[in-house]
Amino acid sequence: MSYAYLFKYIIIGDTGVGKSCLLLQFTDKRFQPVHDLTIGVEFGARMITIDSKQIKLQIWDTAGQEAFRSITRSYYRGAAGALLVYDITRRETFNHLTTWLDDARQHSNSNMVIMLIGNKSDLESRREVKKEEGEAFAREHGLVFMETSAKTAANVEEAFINTAKEIYEKIQEGVFDINNEANGIKIGPQHSPTNPSLPGAGGSSGSQGSGCC
Amino acid sequence: MAFLEWRKFTFFDLKKDVDEGKIAELFKDNRVSTTSSGNSHLILSDTLGQIYIISRSWHVTTFRAYEMSVDLTFQLRNAPLLITIGQDEPGINPLIKVWDTSRKDKNGSPYCHRITRALPGNRPLQASALCVHDNQQLMAVGFIEGSLILYRGDITRDRSSKQKILKTSGSVVTGLAFKSNSSNMFLYVATETSVIVYNITQKDKEQKYQLDNIGCAKQCSVLADSVQESHFMIGRQDAIYCYTTDGRGPCYAVEGEKVMLEWFRTYLIIISKTTRPALLATMSSELQNNSSEGHLITVLDIHNKFIVFSAALPKTKAILSEWGAFYILDDENRLHHLDEKDLQSKLSLLFKKNFYDVAIRIAKSQGYDSDGLVTIFKQYGDHLCDKGDYAGAIEQYIKTIGKLEPSYVIRKFLDSQHIEKLTMYLQALHKQGHATEDHTTLLLNCYTKLNNSVGQTNSLKEFINSKDGVLNYDVDIAIKVCRNESPEEALMLAKKHEKHDWYIKLQIEDHQKYTDVIDYISNLNYEEAEYYMKKYGMVLVENVPKESTTLLKKLCTNYKPNNAPLNSENLISGSFEVPCRADAEDFVHLFLNNSELLVEFLEHLLNEGCILSTAVYNLLFEHYIHVWSNLKNVADKNRMSQKALKLLQNSDVKYDKSQALVVCHLHSFKEGILYLYEEQKLYQQILRYHISKDDSTAVLACCRRFGHQDPTLWVHALWSCVRNTTNPSMDLLNEILTVIAKEKLFSPQLVIDALGSGNANITLGHIRSYITNEIQQEQKVTKEVSQLTTNYRRDTEKLKELLEELKNGVIEIRGSRCAACHHPLELPKIHFLCKHSFHQHCFQSFSDDEIKCLTCEPQNKDLLELLRAREYNRDLHETFHSQLEKAHDGFSVAAEYFGRGVFNKYKVITDEAMEKNLGVPIVSTSKPPVRKAASETRSYGMGAEARLRQTEVKSKPGPVPISEGRIRLQEQRISSSLEANMSRYSKSVDKKSVPTPSNPFEDAYDESNNPFCDDDDDLDETNPFREDLMRDRNLNHFS
Repeated sequence: MSYAYLFKYIIIGDTGVGKSCLLLQFTDKRFQPVHDLTIGVEFGARMITIDSKQIKLQIWDTAGQEAFRSITRSYYRGAAGALLVYDITRRETFNHLTTWLDDARQHSNSNMVIMLIGNKSDLESRREVKKEEGEAFAREHGLVFMETSAKTAANVEEAFINTAKEIYEKIQEGVFDINNEANGIKIGPQHSPTNPSLPGAGGSSGSQGSGCC
Repeated sequence: MAFLEWRKFTFFDLKKDVDEGKIAELFKDNRVSTTSSGNSHLILSDTLGQIYIISRSWHVTTFRAYEMSVDLTFQLRNAPLLITIGQDEPGINPLIKVWDTSRKDKNGSPYCHRITRALPGNRPLQASALCVHDNQQLMAVGFIEGSLILYRGDITRDRSSKQKILKTSGSVVTGLAFKSNSSNMFLYVATETSVIVYNITQKDKEQKYQLDNIGCAKQCSVLADSVQESHFMIGRQDAIYCYTTDGRGPCYAVEGEKVMLEWFRTYLIIISKTTRPALLATMSSELQNNSSEGHLITVLDIHNKFIVFSAALPKTKAILSEWGAFYILDDENRLHHLDEKDLQSKLSLLFKKNFYDVAIRIAKSQGYDSDGLVTIFKQYGDHLCDKGDYAGAIEQYIKTIGKLEPSYVIRKFLDSQHIEKLTMYLQALHKQGHATEDHTTLLLNCYTKLNNSVGQTNSLKEFINSKDGVLNYDVDIAIKVCRNESPEEALMLAKKHEKHDWYIKLQIEDHQKYTDVIDYISNLNYEEAEYYMKKYGMVLVENVPKESTTLLKKLCTNYKPNNAPLNSENLISGSFEVPCRADAEDFVHLFLNNSELLVEFLEHLLNEGCILSTAVYNLLFEHYIHVWSNLKNVADKNRMSQKALKLLQNSDVKYDKSQALVVCHLHSFKEGILYLYEEQKLYQQILRYHISKDDSTAVLACCRRFGHQDPTLWVHALWSCVRNTTNPSMDLLNEILTVIAKEKLFSPQLVIDALGSGNANITLGHIRSYITNEIQQEQKVTKEVSQLTTNYRRDTEKLKELLEELKNGVIEIRGSRCAACHHPLELPKIHFLCKHSFHQHCFQSFSDDEIKCLTCEPQNKDLLELLRAREYNRDLHETFHSQLEKAHDGFSVAAEYFGRGVFNKYKVITDEAMEKNLGVPIVSTSKPPVRKAASETRSYGMGAEARLRQTEVKSKPGPVPISEGRIRLQEQRISSSLEANMSRYSKSVDKKSVPTPSNPFEDAYDESNNPFCDDDDDLDETNPFREDLMRDRNLNHFS
């Protein structure tokens, strides 16, 4: 499958907030009420279209368990976007956001687009975290905010696609160095503007200037 | 921590010593250096340069590959090519050798294709990794200082191969793997400090991508090539990291220092060092004494994400996967076999733990058949049901549709609180087309119930509408159910699916919208319209008579659906469309209570020129009359009667006349009655009708009109005149009497009797003129007759006198001329008593009979013939009767017959007359025949006729019918006599066509016994059997 860009995402957040379900909903369009604990990092991919360009999203769905923190940390680097997820029915997951954010900022590149997701919006009756609180937190930390439900698929697509759009805009603005793969962005094979005649030269297509269109 | 790993199952059985120690025997005093497997062989090599090829039956082929040692081996999976790297001489000088294990050289060892030195940059370096692509065109060798050589070209040939040195990070190359997809070729390289992928699609344009900056130990990398997107996996302390060509992939956290990774089907086999003493303690004692440092084997099912096997093992040397299974070679050179359990036992294991979802996943991934899956779904559903998770259960049950009997599920959910789930199931059932009528009913009922309770008003509508493309429910049932609950839907459904019957029924019975029905029907095509009009016409006519009639008119003349386009195409193409016409007879009964409409309807048909059946015409007429009788307005009445009459007079109209007459009578439709009578020539009826109406002028007119056809009318008129009325009009009477007198229809006596017998007040004065007239005529007739009688008497007297004269008187013959030639008579001459004389020669030349006078003979002959004819006529009774019947006056006929002497014996009179009239010739006086006849009938007078009759009977010869019984009897007699007389019998036999008459009755019937038959047979030349018969006769040995 050819693509213009490859964006790498990471989904982070406390255990049980519905990270894997979000991914499953996004990639497979289904919901699994009983989901096993994620052991390590799971992985999913999907093609989307932005600005009539095919963009491949590679998503790392990390384990929320503290025990796996060391493993998951290594995935921050090389991600262009992060979905920071909390559970609106469990306040402590919201309270932990700062820790996650710090962790992410610390280990990722500074340009990483982070989207704050308040999941399980279908469980309105059990809501513990108000939407306004989420919005306020996002505003405060310069994040994009959205409430989703992996069960009903509400806003799931939007969450991923909006993130991708933001990254795409940043590329257009030239904020991202698309040649540095550590940024979590890769140009599709046939979209390399120059012929990579120098093998082994950093492994990247040595496109200077605007790599995008 | 215990929860921080995947769920564990034991899907493998560990079997020890599967090789019965054969491998251990091989390596008594040397160590296994490297292993490989492929092409259904296990390849082991030792530190002394020997290579062992082990077949499935544990047959070992050994050969020396290197003088010193074998470092690396690689057996191609599907080809008998073995690539090895080893040392032939001391020092660092790795040699690549390519062997063909299927070909043997003269020493019996495999044929060596190629020997190449592996020296990157001409530096002597230890090779640490070896990988060959299955296409036999690519080979990569990694070295301890981080560089690697990529060989392109046929690996079996030295010449064609091109090598390329690629630099990596600088640490030991621990793993290599080729990976090719549709367009690109990649080489994964794992070193101790990094993971790199090269895109080696294009020669000399290899691109390097660093995937990670951490690496792994030797043997701890593997390419998982059977998962969807193949991953290059490396095992590290904390986890297994996967890489794709694009970068990092997933990561599976598995604790422990990894020793070895291997890929087998969809399983990842991990050999790690045990770090947990607890686990060491659980190791079986046997294993424990062998090595203090054990290894832990973990088998992961990557796809389903659980651990399918986990056990402690002694220190492991190698994992060999071959023959569809995998084997573990431990440090003691013992081979362990991990035997995968069969699917059924895996599933039962999962069922026991209620891991149905896992079971389903496994079953699916292993290609379990659908029946089996359904069983799992069902069990899962049952399990969820028990747990109270009905929504989940129904989801599972839905997957069983098509295999599992739906009633099983439905029964479980019939409780009203599960109705939503039940609805879901039924919906799915319908979607998949497995629904029966009952299911549809149930579903629709569910919908209506939901509508009532939950307020989901749309679900029913949605269901009905959603099935546009796939009509997978029984519409009839749906309509039936909807009819009670939501009539609009039912109606819509009926309309949409063209269930005309239902639509009409609903409209009529539930909605009473008759006009709509009419419109609807008129949009249908002919057959349907006809059918439904027949079916529902009664109701429609009753309720919307006008519209129905209009429709019926159309239907019976030239029906075309309202919405059908004008058949201009047909006209253009010239094809003639047969107009559809319904038989009006089928519809007339609809109008039984509505004569006006029926009349209108039928009239329309008549105008359109339809040919209707007799019954319909009758009906039309009847209703004409009916309408007529009901009309009050005279003008209307007249018009209607005109119509009725016109109908009767229409020669095309085949109505039943008698029935029409009955109708006319019923309603006293005068014109009709008279017309019909006239039509059928029942003039007397007309007359009677008029008389009953006391309409003398009409009677008279009738008599005048039809009198010439049926004169008795007058008589009837007379009778009725006198009988039925007390004061008949004199004009009538006079005219009647005049006509009767003129036509002589009735004897005057009877007329007077009639006049007298009636109670009419008729005086003699009324009939005086008639009587006088009659008497005068009578007198005239009497006079004429008496005159005639006198004449006859006179004639008779004359004749008698003449007779007397002839008898007794002298006859003077004075003729002087010959009556024949009129010349004067000369002798010889002949005289007759009739006073004619002839020359003898004249007489002889003219006459052939000597006793008859030539002149008188023709006259006499005529007379005789007349008499004979009369005699002949005597027997023709029919003639008499018919004459009598035909005769104006029967009496006169009878009298004439008497006059002719029917009852007299003419012969006698003839004889006498002959004697008297003819006289006797003088010359020859012999008259014997006359005498004889006279003697035959001597007697006269009383009893003469009776006697005659008697002789008649006696003399009657043949045609008296003989009763059949008598004939039979006779025949039998003949046959029995035949039996008695054998000679005759045999004679009769040879005439038979069937020569075995065992039945005597058959004989009797046999034609040979028939005396008449013989002749026929022999005489009849045309008889086709005759020849056969003859031949039979010839062949018969009796003859």
